[in-house]
Amino acid sequence: MASRVLPRPPAFRSVGRSVLLTLPMALWALLMFTPSFRQPGRNSHIGALLVILFMTALFFLMMRTGKTYRWRRYFFVALGLLFPVGFIASLVAVRGTMSIPIERMVSGDTPFCYMVIPMLILPAAVTRTIIFPGSILPTASNPHSIAIMIGLWLALTLVVGKAWCSYICFFGGIEEGFAALPKRMKIRKLDPRLRLVPWAILLFVVVLSAALFEPVYCMWLCPFKTVTEYPAVHSVQTAIQMGIFITLFGGLVVVLPYLTRKRTQCAFFCPFGAFQSLFNKINLFEIRFDREKCVDCTLCQTACPTMALSAESIREGKTLLNCMKCGACVDSCKKSAAVWHLKGTKVALKPERARLLFLYGAWAMATMFGGSILANSISTIIGFLPLR
Amino acid sequence: MAVTASDTRAAVRSAAMAAPSLSTSAVEALMLGLATGPICLASCGPVVLPWMLVQPQGVRSHARQLSIFLSGRLAGYLVFATVVWLAGIALAGAGNARFWIMGGVQVLLAVGLLIYAAAWPHARCGFVRSKNNLVQIGTTSSAPPQSRPTGAIALGFLTGINLCPPFLVAGVRAAQLPTLAAALLFFAVFFVGTAVWFMPFLSLGVVRRTPSFMTVARMAAVLLACWYGFTGGSLLIEKAIYG
Repeated sequence: MASRVLPRPPAFRSVGRSVLLTLPMALWALLMFTPSFRQPGRNSHIGALLVILFMTALFFLMMRTGKTYRWRRYFFVALGLLFPVGFIASLVAVRGTMSIPIERMVSGDTPFCYMVIPMLILPAAVTRTIIFPGSILPTASNPHSIAIMIGLWLALTLVVGKAWCSYICFFGGIEEGFAALPKRMKIRKLDPRLRLVPWAILLFVVVLSAALFEPVYCMWLCPFKTVTEYPAVHSVQTAIQMGIFITLFGGLVVVLPYLTRKRTQCAFFCPFGAFQSLFNKINLFEIRFDREKCVDCTLCQTACPTMALSAESIREGKTLLNCMKCGACVDSCKKSAAVWHLKGTKVALKPERARLLFLYGAWAMATMFGGSILANSISTIIGFLPLR
Repeated sequence: MAVTASDTRAAVRSAAMAAPSLSTSAVEALMLGLATGPICLASCGPVVLPWMLVQPQGVRSHARQLSIFLSGRLAGYLVFATVVWLAGIALAGAGNARFWIMGGVQVLLAVGLLIYAAAWPHARCGFVRSKNNLVQIGTTSSAPPQSRPTGAIALGFLTGINLCPPFLVAGVRAAQLPTLAAALLFFAVFFVGTAVWFMPFLSLGVVRRTPSFMTVARMAAVLLACWYGFTGGSLLIEKAIYG
């Protein structure tokens, strides 16, 4: 009996064209990691080489298949999982522990995290004070200085806008990994009001940080303290803080993403994500819906990991402000109604060109920022392996 | 011979610097208020901001609500001025009483913010809450706005007696003044100096109000209530256990 073989869907692009389009990114990756090959030690060479191959291969697959979300996710989950490995290893190597002793805070040795940025603005504007126990300029003991991190954040944000949350943020990958594990959603109904919670938390932390002169989010609410660094537990207060960090991490980064297949921490909690949404207003790239093709099947709404689509927004042909341009809606749309769009041009007019322009910027930034983290973590892991 | 409270007060006042004239102390209070206003703003801001954000759009309505809030705050100041003058500097300076008051006020602020976040939108200023739909807080009503200033007055009063550092400095100074009237005047002028810093809140009146915006403000109020409840509660518990 002849078996029915379904025809294989045609590739989005030919191999030759895909290679040609991938070439600039391959060269960019080589350029970014050339310094790693000048460093002594085999581990950093292997790490850099693997990352160059990994990032180039994923970009090639994006070009070849026309899918964005699927391939980006491999990079992003790898980033989320490997970042803590490299970071914790370097903490342990430098201080012997993940906790921050109070004397290191006082001496300004705390590595700066971009999550603090929204909380810095008010105190800096009113009193010209930076409410973070780090150093403005890099030092030998703390290369992650405030000036470098803010400069980097600003440059990357101008290029990618809110896409920071899906191409650069090393925290989001952890929950994206957990969200990718189940085949079906265990919890389907999510209250749309939850989308507003990050804005409320942003307002809360910004106002309270100005009042207390300390980064309230980092002190009390950051779930990722669990897998990075945390204040040394030496009192009831620090024990409560640690309890909050672990509870939030377990709930928002592990359990809820697994149950909902959404990035629940990013969508329903992260104040930095809300702050970053504001930059979607000035960023050139966005996702739009071709209303002539859209059949309101809501597949895109189901696919969106941050609930950045509502029935009303789709009817208007737009996403909500918190869209992080991961491309899940575009990949899921069977009618090609969800398209990449360059502001100022007609919707659905050469959407692939808009996608390419966006991806070149976003992937270049991802390679530069996330890629270096990956390379560092890989070389750390190789260092732990009992190899000769 | 037994030493009475009034003797102690007299001794404290005589030990203090020579009593300044009314105009000198008024200028001093104004300068103190203006100089320490940002700290007052920082400590009252978490309460004022969400409150102002849920007011209907318009600078006029904001001016009205801010006036009511500041009136409550002035009342708190004057009550505090009276108490510190009668009790001498003990209340302002003594650690234990201060912590009990701060803890209690913070718990009350938490309760106030929670009540306002939960109950405020039922019927107020042209907004009528639609049931079981928090995002759609309000549908505009043609009914005239109902004036219910108790929330603003209560929150203003509670922030008025919240013992922030500049407030304590003013309290110590007022306690050294020779008459109650002078202490009240000192605090009234100090209030004027700090109130200037609250004027930027009026600019929130031009921000466009949407149901989502109002919901965010209410959620922030709940979070701030949790914060005040936690800090106030832990302060009270700490004092109860360790004294």
